[in-house]
Amino acid sequence: MDPFGAEGELINIHNHFHQGQYQEVVDFDTAALSPENALPARVLALRARIALGQADDVIADVQGESEPELAAVGALAQHSLGKTDAAVKTIEELASSSSDNATVQTIGGIVLQAAGKSEEALALLSQHSGNLEAVALITQIHLLQNRTDLALKEVKAARSWAQDSLLVNLAESWVGVRMGGERYQQAFYVFEELAQAPSTSSIVTLVSQSVCELHLGRVEEAQAALEQAVQKDPKYAEAIANLLVLNIVTGKNPSELTASLRSVDPTHPFLADLAEKDALFDKAASKFSAKVSA
Amino acid sequence: MASSGMLTKFESKSSRAKGIAFHPKRPWILVSLHSSTIQLWDYRMGTLIDRFEEHDGPVRGVDFHKTQPLFVSGGDDYKIKVWSYQTRRCLFTLNGHLDYVRTVFFHHELPWIISSSDDQTIRIWNWQNRSLICTMTGHNHYVMCAQFHPKDDLVVSASLDQSVRVWDISGLRKKHSAPTSMSFEDQVARSNAQQTDMFGNTDAMVKFVLEGHDRGVNWVAFHPTAPHIVSAGDDRLVKLWRFSETKAWEVDTCRGHFQNASGCLFHPHQDLILSCGEDKTIRVWDSQKRTAVQTFKRENDRFWVIAAHPEINLFAAGHDNGVMVFKLERERPASTVHQNSLFFITKEKHVRSYDFQKNQESPTLLSLKRLGSAWVPPRTLSYNPAERSVLVTSPSDGGSYELINLPRDGSGALDTNDSKRGQGNSAIFVARNRFAVLNTASQTVDIKDLSNNTARSFKPPRWDHGYLLWRHRQPQKKSIAELAVNGVKYVVWSNDGLHAALLSKHNVTIVTKTLEQVSTLHETIRIKSATWDDAGVLLYSTLNHIKYTLMNGDNGIVRTLDQTVYLVRVKGRNVYCLDRGAKPKVLLIDPTEYRFKLSLVKRNYEEMLHIIRTSSLVGQSIISYLQKKGYPEIALQFVQDPATRFELAIECGNLDVAVEMCKELDRPALWKRLGDEALAHGNHQVVEMAYQKQKQFDKLSFLYLSTGDHNKLGRMAKIAEHRGDFTARFQNALYLGEVEDRIQMFKEIDQYPLAYVTAKAHGLEEECQSILEVTGITEDQLTLPEFGEPMAQHQPVVPTYKANWPTKATSQSFFEKALAGQLEGMSLEDEPAAANGLDDEFAEDDSAAKKNGAMDVDEDEDVAGWDMGDVEIPEADADFVNVESTDAGGAASSEADMWARNSPLAADHAAAGSFDSAMNLLNRQVGAVNFAPLKPRFLEIYSATKSYLPATAGLPPLVNYIRRTLDETDPRKVLPIIPRDPEYITTNDLQRGYDAMRSNKLEDCLAVFKGVLHCMFLNAVSSESEAAEAKKLITSAGEYVVAMMIELARRQLGSQDEVNANPALLKRSLELSAYFTIPKIHVPHRQYTLFSAMNLANRSKNYSSALSFASRILANGGTGRITDSAKKMKAACERNPHDNVEIEFDQFAEFDICAASHTPIYSGSTYEECSFDGAKYHSKYKGTVCVVCEVCEVGKHGSGLRLFA
Repeated sequence: MDPFGAEGELINIHNHFHQGQYQEVVDFDTAALSPENALPARVLALRARIALGQADDVIADVQGESEPELAAVGALAQHSLGKTDAAVKTIEELASSSSDNATVQTIGGIVLQAAGKSEEALALLSQHSGNLEAVALITQIHLLQNRTDLALKEVKAARSWAQDSLLVNLAESWVGVRMGGERYQQAFYVFEELAQAPSTSSIVTLVSQSVCELHLGRVEEAQAALEQAVQKDPKYAEAIANLLVLNIVTGKNPSELTASLRSVDPTHPFLADLAEKDALFDKAASKFSAKVSA
Repeated sequence: MASSGMLTKFESKSSRAKGIAFHPKRPWILVSLHSSTIQLWDYRMGTLIDRFEEHDGPVRGVDFHKTQPLFVSGGDDYKIKVWSYQTRRCLFTLNGHLDYVRTVFFHHELPWIISSSDDQTIRIWNWQNRSLICTMTGHNHYVMCAQFHPKDDLVVSASLDQSVRVWDISGLRKKHSAPTSMSFEDQVARSNAQQTDMFGNTDAMVKFVLEGHDRGVNWVAFHPTAPHIVSAGDDRLVKLWRFSETKAWEVDTCRGHFQNASGCLFHPHQDLILSCGEDKTIRVWDSQKRTAVQTFKRENDRFWVIAAHPEINLFAAGHDNGVMVFKLERERPASTVHQNSLFFITKEKHVRSYDFQKNQESPTLLSLKRLGSAWVPPRTLSYNPAERSVLVTSPSDGGSYELINLPRDGSGALDTNDSKRGQGNSAIFVARNRFAVLNTASQTVDIKDLSNNTARSFKPPRWDHGYLLWRHRQPQKKSIAELAVNGVKYVVWSNDGLHAALLSKHNVTIVTKTLEQVSTLHETIRIKSATWDDAGVLLYSTLNHIKYTLMNGDNGIVRTLDQTVYLVRVKGRNVYCLDRGAKPKVLLIDPTEYRFKLSLVKRNYEEMLHIIRTSSLVGQSIISYLQKKGYPEIALQFVQDPATRFELAIECGNLDVAVEMCKELDRPALWKRLGDEALAHGNHQVVEMAYQKQKQFDKLSFLYLSTGDHNKLGRMAKIAEHRGDFTARFQNALYLGEVEDRIQMFKEIDQYPLAYVTAKAHGLEEECQSILEVTGITEDQLTLPEFGEPMAQHQPVVPTYKANWPTKATSQSFFEKALAGQLEGMSLEDEPAAANGLDDEFAEDDSAAKKNGAMDVDEDEDVAGWDMGDVEIPEADADFVNVESTDAGGAASSEADMWARNSPLAADHAAAGSFDSAMNLLNRQVGAVNFAPLKPRFLEIYSATKSYLPATAGLPPLVNYIRRTLDETDPRKVLPIIPRDPEYITTNDLQRGYDAMRSNKLEDCLAVFKGVLHCMFLNAVSSESEAAEAKKLITSAGEYVVAMMIELARRQLGSQDEVNANPALLKRSLELSAYFTIPKIHVPHRQYTLFSAMNLANRSKNYSSALSFASRILANGGTGRITDSAKKMKAACERNPHDNVEIEFDQFAEFDICAASHTPIYSGSTYEECSFDGAKYHSKYKGTVCVVCEVCEVGKHGSGLRLFA
């Protein structure tokens, strides 16, 4: 029986993790779990701690462990600390030795993709057998590559065998936000349901919901949701970035938020992008000049 | 007297010409000959159009009808014939005369013909009912000539009975033209009142009998307007007569002919009489002084008849050996151009100038009336700006020149003491104090100083090149160059002095200043004048066209002319010229065509782009021109018609377009040509498609073989099997190296020997045995040749089928790139965008689908190509499609990239992050050059386009693209969100600006409105009407910016005290405050400006200005403090409406304010504009950055800002 399935022991911790409720994952009582599920639960808890910014502790935790799962988690922790080369090396080793391990696949996919090796990530992930997290990752990678068509195909295929899994719903919503039109609304429903129920609500789902609203042109609602998110965690970069974009859309002065985003996450794609375009503008503008200088 | 003035335009050779008639409109002349022929000539082209030969014996009289395509002739066969020159035949003959018919003429309005005859009668015929309506008798000898009066009901006739008679035919008119309106009483009264002549005829009565000639009278003619008659007789005299209502008398006699005078007439426009005679002369007389003016003599031919063109200044005379068409004088007005002025000599011999810029003709500067003979117009004019003097040459006295100072007082009086004169055929200023005189008789050129002393003299080797060349030869005192060009009459130098056009009668030769020939062209029609465009295009005029020629000799027609003109200058769309009446004229031309061709020659593709975009330059001629000149790729841009596009695309090797057009047209012949062309390019994918379309299976197979595409070869084999085409099957099997297949096939068609040999050759012994078994033959029975090694199947070295071979480099010209690359903003966008799309498809798939090659064309093409005849091979079809649609990884272009492709708006390009193309668009649309102020806006738009969706922990967020097209899912139609749309600006920024204005925070206000302008550079609206609104918003913001800048400039002049202390500052301050009221800002805001200006004017005691401002405040209406004080001010100022400080502000004049200098631009004067915000500038600011928007280049025109896709 699938431990992550609707009847499985790990369904709750798994959902907490993917809903972005990392603290709940860490606090999850794993004592009652059957022994074969202990390791996956531990992996999830470790990953949640990495997401919460406790990568150092995680490295210490997995030090000396031999299981490929824990080695992979260690690599992920290394990666999140910026030691990407070492992480990639570990993952590549794991990929050659135990590529059929679901945890190695997912974490390996994350690390490889994050290191910019999309082809390798996809190659590793494609070996999955019914690993929904791998499906979600593949979908995300396709979306990052702007291959919406392939992402959609992946999600559709997954939906046929994992009807109402949270991950499939999420992945489908990601694709929906990219495709637009009626799918904005469908994605909005998915995120809203998660974000508005106290048991499932997290800053991640709240931001996701507001992104949908932003795309739907409901700027007031998006504003409210994002402000709520920023209140919840003033250091959550995605919330700040989206609020920043929203402010620009509504014609407000974005400088304050830009500064706070810069302090929270100086490497955020928004800032990197902006800096690049800033330079591009100057370069492009320099090609033009008036016939007569004033 | 010299015959120099007369200019022969046409001569024909024939037998004796007895009658002549000019066509009133066309350049035709009818000549009736002694040999019974009537000729119709085109005297302009010098060609014989037609001959009419039905008369028997000499034809003496001919005449054209004024309006109908008819003419009449009368001859010695007593017949009068009426002809149609359209159907080229005689319509009918009027019989009645009993002897030679001497002259025939149409009536100017009634359907009448008058004829005179040796039977001593004059007859009037109605040519509509073809009847004789009147016979006038009275002469008692041959009647030699009879003509209608051009207006009145009179006839004049001349007879060998030595008399000239004037007849009244009003009775005839009454009888024939208005029979119904006459009551019975009238008829009775008339018949009673009028005496009848001896034949009882009352229709035509002799009015006067003019006796004075001593011999027979040969010709007589009325004056066109005055009551004068001129007659010519065998007494060698030309007599001038006058008549009134009641009497007629002889005025004077012109003596000079020494043989019979045969013809005479009045000059249609001038006080001149022309006569001709058997003494072989044509003589011109002054009809006022009755003195001889001019004589023209022919060597051998006696003149018999003379005629005048009714409209233009042309005459014709018939003589023993044909006719000559001539004019009495040159009609080319003498003129010269100096900078912006044209100096010319009018018909009244007045020197005048004409200002090109103001389009104004000056009053007479100088009268040359007393210069030379009254009837000889000056030939050339040269102007010396330093001395303000003119040099005039005239052909009188064998050629003379005169140096005259233009009177300073403008009185126009000629002070003869002041003038220096001398002999010479041509004279021109060559330096401030030197002029050159050409003397053809002595073949010398004299260089003279202003006191008319010869400084030096030399003999030019070839003086027939035209006098103007010396301008360059003279300073070096040596001949610079020589070029043999025949018959050059005029020389026109280009504006830069590097080239000259040599005009002769029918040729234009362009030479460089060193007389190297650049090009030459020939015209069948006379070339009249020429002038150079600033860009180096020569415009020249012929008798009836203005044409252009480029340096390379390409020429064409610019426009047709109603009348001949002499070009003096081209500026923009205006051609300045002098007509034959020496009146300056401005003709409008469309220079697009030659500018386009010029930029093509100069490879100025930007200019061409501009022309393509801004004008509707289409049509077959430009396409064929481009094609002929080897620019099919440019021609491609003009064509819509698919067939033509295909031709052009093939010609320029643009396979993409060719494929597209081919699909549209879908004709086998086109597919074949496409295939051939693609093969030449090495583009085997297109070749494949073409072969598929044509179902050329064998060619396809070979193509697959040569590209190493085994897969498809296999499929071809299958298809061949299905088609039952064994040859094809064999061929494919051979290509594939499938021996078994071949053997199997041979067996199927009972070719066992071949099957056996094949098997044997490949060493397939089992197969051999089985064949032997089937056929029941043993091996011994066979004699086989020696086999070599079995053919080895070659493996392709390079799998070329995966991608195209390196194709023939189709060099994309700049032009193509410009048109295909970044053209979303222009009118041609749909077509290059389509081409783009195709490109991209190829490119994407190439990179994305490495395995299946760039076969995306096949996906649908295969189906389309194959399903035509191959119903029974569905599985092959399915295969075909499946192979192509594999899953492929690799990145694709993001939605943002699509935006740039989907939209022609700069804002969308900025949103897509494609700042380059956004800037290019703005540059083309509104001439934007300084983008720095737009940077915040660019980044604002760009930043607003992406949202960040958190997904898997540990990975960066998913970037999504925020759209303004919410319901759209087609990636080819989605468009980005653009923050701060015009509606937002109107409700937010604009209000802030108005608030700042109200609270007098002008710096803030200026910043706000500039911000609005910058915001509008990059924006998008959803409809055409919104776009119009947005443009209004831009203009309004621009006006505010100008207003704020003026007022801020005023405030920066200094404190109130400083300004008051300094008169210059005070004046400027008052001016600026007045200009502040000019920009078209909202009326309530205008009231502030007026109020401020009013108060300032009042304080400086400029009551008149204050009054005008007060009046304007009141005219704007409203109530409140401002209007109240305006009322008071008005009352106060009306008492003393004077200005203390005079300022440059005309309250009554229409003007705009130059945004840079804050000075007025009066209407009518030239100005430049910012094409974005419409701010106006003095011309000198052209090329600077607009101070209002700070972005665009002043005076740079674009296609206009696009805000709506």
